[in-house]
Amino acid sequence: MLRMKIFSSRLFANALFTVSVMLLVAVGAWYVQGDGEAASASLHLTQADWQDADGHSFSAPVPVMNSRDLPSRWQHAALPSALPLAPSPPSLPSPESATAGEKAVRTTWIKVPVTGALPAGPLVLYGIRIKTDGTVAVYANGRLAYRTQQRGQLWNSLFTPLWFTLDQHDGAEPLKEILIRVEHAPETPVGLSSLWVGTAEALRGRYYLRQWLQRELPATLSAAFMVVGIFALFVWFRRRHEMRYLLFFNLAAVSFVGHLHYYVSLPIVTDWFAWLTANALLWLLTVVHLFLRQLHGRPLTWLTCTLVGVTLAASVLSIPVLGILPVYPSTSLLVPFMYAVTVLMGVLVCTMGAKASWRRSREGMLLTIGVGVAVLLGMSDWLLHNNVVNPEGWFLGAYTNAVTFAMFGGLMYRRYIDAITEVEQINASLAQRLQAREAELEISHRLLREAALRQTISEERQRLMQDMHDGLGSSLISAIRSVEHGGVSDAKVSQILKDCLDDLKLTIDSMEPVEADLLLLLATLRFRLEPRFEGSNITLIWDVQELPTLVWLEPSSALHILRIVQESIANILRHTRADRIRVSTARDEDGGGVSVTIEDNGQGFDIGKALDSAAGRGLHNQQRRAKAVDGRVSWSSDAGGTRFTLWLPLVRKIAAV
Amino acid sequence: MPSISDIPALPAIHVAIVEDDPGFRDALSKAVQASPDMQLASMAGTRAEGLAMLQGPPADVLLVDLGLPDGSGIDVIVAAVAQWPSCNIMVSTTFGDETHVMRSIEAGAAGYLLKDSSPAKMIDEIRSLASGGSPISPIIARQVLARFRGAAATTAPAAPAAPGTAGADQGAILSVREKEVLDYITRGFTAQEIARLMQLSPFTVRTFVRRIYSKLKVTSKTEAIYEARTLGLLPD
Repeated sequence: MLRMKIFSSRLFANALFTVSVMLLVAVGAWYVQGDGEAASASLHLTQADWQDADGHSFSAPVPVMNSRDLPSRWQHAALPSALPLAPSPPSLPSPESATAGEKAVRTTWIKVPVTGALPAGPLVLYGIRIKTDGTVAVYANGRLAYRTQQRGQLWNSLFTPLWFTLDQHDGAEPLKEILIRVEHAPETPVGLSSLWVGTAEALRGRYYLRQWLQRELPATLSAAFMVVGIFALFVWFRRRHEMRYLLFFNLAAVSFVGHLHYYVSLPIVTDWFAWLTANALLWLLTVVHLFLRQLHGRPLTWLTCTLVGVTLAASVLSIPVLGILPVYPSTSLLVPFMYAVTVLMGVLVCTMGAKASWRRSREGMLLTIGVGVAVLLGMSDWLLHNNVVNPEGWFLGAYTNAVTFAMFGGLMYRRYIDAITEVEQINASLAQRLQAREAELEISHRLLREAALRQTISEERQRLMQDMHDGLGSSLISAIRSVEHGGVSDAKVSQILKDCLDDLKLTIDSMEPVEADLLLLLATLRFRLEPRFEGSNITLIWDVQELPTLVWLEPSSALHILRIVQESIANILRHTRADRIRVSTARDEDGGGVSVTIEDNGQGFDIGKALDSAAGRGLHNQQRRAKAVDGRVSWSSDAGGTRFTLWLPLVRKIAAV
Repeated sequence: MPSISDIPALPAIHVAIVEDDPGFRDALSKAVQASPDMQLASMAGTRAEGLAMLQGPPADVLLVDLGLPDGSGIDVIVAAVAQWPSCNIMVSTTFGDETHVMRSIEAGAAGYLLKDSSPAKMIDEIRSLASGGSPISPIIARQVLARFRGAAATTAPAAPAAPGTAGADQGAILSVREKEVLDYITRGFTAQEIARLMQLSPFTVRTFVRRIYSKLKVTSKTEAIYEARTLGLLPD
């Protein structure tokens, strides 16, 4: 049954996992679908001709431009291609060229012939990127169809694929040629990926995949990293002593800011944003290094000093208002130098981190690997930027953030799992310790109970032995002696034995549960004495009233009280000629105690004399017993009768022994 | 105590005795035989003899000693309740202590006889029992009250779940008068005094006690059933 339950719950968990993963895969597949039809419904353009022309300023593209109107010095290129920089191309013959020399602008024309069967229906043009720092205009069949980067290169241009619909007019001739006009600085080369023409359905998958992997996924991860960083910040608010949470937030913030240039459509100019973008890499390295130090616990002082020094120097010197150190997009040689320094720092942090973490901190190793991967990604970006690899490649630097996030997410995941395990272990051991303590307590309680029970039994035995010795034992001895010596009537012996039995009954009654009720105790005594009054002429007047509970009334004190009252009544029966006995109870007006009064109408006796004589033993016994329960007895007697009073406290000063 | 004149003339009371102490048995049988309105029906000295005796014709009053050589007199009481349903069972005891008397009453006894009573007193008690009265002591009264309080507490939650026992439960509740009688007894008043205080005859007070005892028997049965159910020994 239980196994069945475990099995089914495991099955459910597996099913849930599979469904979730399938869901994500299905969405991804649906998003990029249609790639397969590309071959039939699209045309891949990989051949182009190009030429350069120098001007002196940027100008708006003319609406209609026929490639035949351009000089016929086309050079062939196979796409994708980074077009080589022509050292001195001939000037475009135009009136403006006369004033050239202030600031030269180069116009590169790229002619892509469309040969082959085009699919029917509306067409789109797709290309991975046109890599340039200038404006781009695209002509289809000589007519201006699309413009982009009209104010020059934007920060996100490199990561944005080319994608637009080719307007087709009814009856117009089919697409024969695509002409691209690029205006740019003469010293920066132009790169062009291969182009695709086809239906939107056929190319959408290709476009979406590029768009998603190059821009949207890194952006999402970057945002997620930022959110987790904010979470860490809030953790730090409550745990100020744990600097690593603040460092984590700082890392997330720097990462986020340092990668903004992959997503924002700001023009690339030398300003604060360029400064930020250029220096964020160094900041990031510094923070990661500080984090690593926390993980492996080695100070690495010189590396820290160097790194902080370089970072501070670069950050201060490149502040736009100072402008001592140039930043991208400056074409100064110092820019690639600074990137080289950054890469060197990255390699240093990675190597030293690995050395310090080796066999010391698995988390440190993990992070070091992350730094290494990030450095490699940055280098791949550098290669693409500088046209070392073809312009259709991926800018993987966008994933640096994702790698950092994954590494730190991994660290957090481990911490979280460890924390849960630890809490579970602590709980388990707590429960175990609690159980052990309970067992110990139970044992000591049992021992205490046993000791208390032994004590009670011992006390009870002493009490009963004392009682038997004084009462039953001595009565029996006197009975035996009487019988042995003879001369005693059977009736007398019978009476002695009856007294013995009465004694025994009182002893038993004292052990009955009277529930601290003095009245019940008196009632029991009356019930026992009833046969004595039967056949006598004595009238017993029972004039009792409710009494408060005597909490201290337990067997030994009960027996004392029974004996006191019994003795009192026996004295009346034995020594007086009373024919009326009145038993009454009352409680003190001040509430301090209760009293039992026994009055008779006998001839009375001299109390002082009786107490002094040997016959007064019974009275002394009453006094002694009353004292034993913190009570007192008193007599008042005259010729009209005797009045005996037993006073008992409601509360005893010390617990009864 | 009720005197002979209180009791209406009845056919002879048949008395059966289960008692292992020959001295007490002789004293008792002599007292019974000496009484004109009583007849000694049968006698047994052991539990086995007592149980065998129950196969014979029923007596009006059965006197049982609890401490028999071959077992407990409680067994004889239980068997007598089943086999001689009209018989008044009386337990003979030395001390009339709470433990023995309460157990006997719960088993079905209607009264108890103190062994050191005078022969006249014993005959009075048997006569009173035969005519439907029962003796009681303050300690027993207090125990009975406590038992009914406990029963009220335990049967109350079980009552809605077991409508079939509703009749029995009703029998397990003391009337106000019955409770009053018990209260007076715990405060030490005798049957005569209570009769005067409540304006009843002393014999009526004793029949009240008999009714209370039979309710206690029901209550202890209900309690046993309730406990057995709680323990899962009986189906609900």
